[in-house]
Amino acid sequence: MPRYVITFSKQGLIKYTSHLDMVRLFKRAFNRSGIYLEYSNGFNPHPKMVFAQPLALGYTSEGELLEFDTRDEYDADDIRNMVNKNMPSGIRVLRCVPIEKEKKSLAAKCCAAEYRITVPLPEGHETPENALRERFLAQSEITALKKEKKTGEMKPVDIKSGIRSLEIKIVDNKILLTAILDAGSSSNISPELLLNSFTNFIGLTIERETVEISRLQIFM
Amino acid sequence: MNLDRLLKKVEKPARYIGGEVNSALKDPREVSLRFAFAFPDLYEIGMSYMGMQILYNILNSHEDFFCERVFAPGLDMEEAMREEGFPLFTLETKTPVRDFDIVGFTLQYEMSFTNILNMLDLSGIPLKRTEREASDEEYPLIVAGGPCAFNPEPLADFIDLFMIGDGEKLLPAICRLYEENKNASKEEFLQLACRLPGVYVPSFYRPQYKEDGTIKGFKKLYSKAPDRVVKCIESDIDDLPLPEKPIVPFIETVHDRVVVETFRGCTRGCRFCQAGMIYRPVRERSTEKIVSYAKKQLESTGHEELSLLSLSTSDYSNFEPLVNELMEYCSDKNISLSLPSLRLDSFSFKVLNELQKTRKSGLTFAPEAGTQRLRDRINKNITEDDIYGSIEEAIKLGWKKIKLYFMIGLPGETYEDLDGIAEIARRIVDVNYMINGRAGGRFSVNVSVSNFVPKPHTPFQWEPQDTYDDFVEKHNYLREKLKMKNVNFSYHDSPVSVIEAVIARGDRKVGKLLLDAWKNGCEFDGWSEKFDIEKWEKAYGSSGVTPEFYAERRRNYNEILPWDIIDPGISKLYLMTEDQLTTTTGDCRDTCNGCGVNKYTECPNMGINGRKEEQ
Repeated sequence: MPRYVITFSKQGLIKYTSHLDMVRLFKRAFNRSGIYLEYSNGFNPHPKMVFAQPLALGYTSEGELLEFDTRDEYDADDIRNMVNKNMPSGIRVLRCVPIEKEKKSLAAKCCAAEYRITVPLPEGHETPENALRERFLAQSEITALKKEKKTGEMKPVDIKSGIRSLEIKIVDNKILLTAILDAGSSSNISPELLLNSFTNFIGLTIERETVEISRLQIFM
Repeated sequence: MNLDRLLKKVEKPARYIGGEVNSALKDPREVSLRFAFAFPDLYEIGMSYMGMQILYNILNSHEDFFCERVFAPGLDMEEAMREEGFPLFTLETKTPVRDFDIVGFTLQYEMSFTNILNMLDLSGIPLKRTEREASDEEYPLIVAGGPCAFNPEPLADFIDLFMIGDGEKLLPAICRLYEENKNASKEEFLQLACRLPGVYVPSFYRPQYKEDGTIKGFKKLYSKAPDRVVKCIESDIDDLPLPEKPIVPFIETVHDRVVVETFRGCTRGCRFCQAGMIYRPVRERSTEKIVSYAKKQLESTGHEELSLLSLSTSDYSNFEPLVNELMEYCSDKNISLSLPSLRLDSFSFKVLNELQKTRKSGLTFAPEAGTQRLRDRINKNITEDDIYGSIEEAIKLGWKKIKLYFMIGLPGETYEDLDGIAEIARRIVDVNYMINGRAGGRFSVNVSVSNFVPKPHTPFQWEPQDTYDDFVEKHNYLREKLKMKNVNFSYHDSPVSVIEAVIARGDRKVGKLLLDAWKNGCEFDGWSEKFDIEKWEKAYGSSGVTPEFYAERRRNYNEILPWDIIDPGISKLYLMTEDQLTTTTGDCRDTCNGCGVNKYTECPNMGINGRKEEQ
């Protein structure tokens, strides 16, 4: 069975759909396009289709990855065009490429992801200095508060080793953080932790709903 | 405050974003009429309702109309909207509801009525039509339709115009009339509209009451308004369009599938059932059309499930060929076919066995009453032999979960009938032992009991409802009786059933109850976690509306009923006769029982008034 990988973007209000919504959405878009996915055997057959990484509800993205097997062979560009015709506005298939089948799934191969976090500066807030990035990264530990799954308590964690790169810019009274963070099975840093740690560091109290987060790409 | 920030604060924000595949997108500046279709419950509920998709499709097929959708926002969204002063908006263009020409509410169940008031309030539209009339501001025309419009009186203070009956042609006709008379006053428009069949304009009638609180009569305030509003009937539903491209929701809805209506109406004549009365006569869609719509809908949505819609699936006259054809189509496409409310005969078993080959979900029976005597009284034409025969067959085929639906508080019920419910459960467990042995593995019988609510335009419309205390006592009795191995018992909340009965058979005075309940904070009353009896009790007190008068009282056959202003087609004489019978009345496919609906339309089963051309 042929296997393909799609790269797609997610923009606009559709960012408010969840990961499970996206699974349904793609399944139906393939159905509408007349592209037959390969199904698993068993009592409850499901299509062989998997996202590299779930995208958090509310995040936009420039480069999500989806891997799937089809029953028949298609031209990869045809898949891109057909699926795009059947997508709601906000989802755009940028590329589709055939790939060799291998044991490791797309999800298992992911190791990092690049994010852009846009934080508006409140009126009258002192503009942070230029050396901000250096000072932030120079901390021996970069701590963020993370919710414990079991107890629900907020516990400090050190995310320093999971930050692969960080750029900070201030444009139009907004702080733009562009960061590559660990996003693999052994180490995974949510951009929420970076946001939390950074705003604490500069002493900024923000309302979460004023912050935009976009995933720019996923690295293998 | 923009919508984007609002959406970051709430749960399931995709309820409010619109933009789903197959939703309508038009330039509002290029249409001559904007209609907001309002469903007074959450998105997930409303998007499972086929009627909305049908009417949405019809209105939007007119190039110069633009129909958009709006649902009741969740509590968190409502709070955020109120905090920010963000008005209720439609999904398609995010336009405030109050900027529309017409806002149309669908009335599916009584317990959604407080949500209607809440949605008007969230839109910044005064709730009462007299307040809107007295205001210098222009507000949209507020209309309503759906099954609960068959007793429009409880909402008469809030709604400008009701549509009774089939809406496929009536709704666009109303819109066209409105569009053609945009320069006329609201009053002038309503005077024109009330001449259309099925249109009830409450401001043209003033109910007058006797000293005992019952109705003395309706005083007509506009002489050309009809004395009684005859429901709008479409004689041939085969010509009525279904959507070929239904909207595909982003989030999971209650019924996440495509649905094709096979027929309207029901010939069984259960005496408690309002749908079985108000949707008469039975009208079928051709097999050809059903199959064609099913295929088009599946292709245009990519859905994985197809369902058929009617009041009694297997009563469709060409049922076997239809199901065989659909099963064949679905089987090699990984599409599951779901057939609700099947009558369990041999063919149905064959089909169900095929459909649930791998995973047998529960099998549902609705005997409704525990003894043959009471089943005959309510005209539920099903015998003990039918029940146990089907159960035996089901258990032999491997079903492990049997669901039973009953109603309590039915007219003529005694505790013997409650014993009968327990007896049926016990015998089903025995049948299972007989077939599978004591060590036969997991097996369960789920007994679900709901409380009888007398509904307008049914033979039981005069009957008293049990009191709250009666219901509680009966639930307690059943709980003890049903303490059996492998049997589970569940029942509906009694206070809700009482309020449902008050509203269902309410007159205009019940409008005050609704208003006061809403002012006390009532909304989403159909959701048990949100329902608050104390707020309703407070509203009973302030409005003077009592369950004693509206729910528990036996009404006299001579009494003028609030909903007598509506003519559902069936005659009152037929309803009275049926109310008094203790024996069954046959299926009207076999013999005409004289309900009288073919006074206004042709009944496929001919009937008491003969063929239409002979009249």
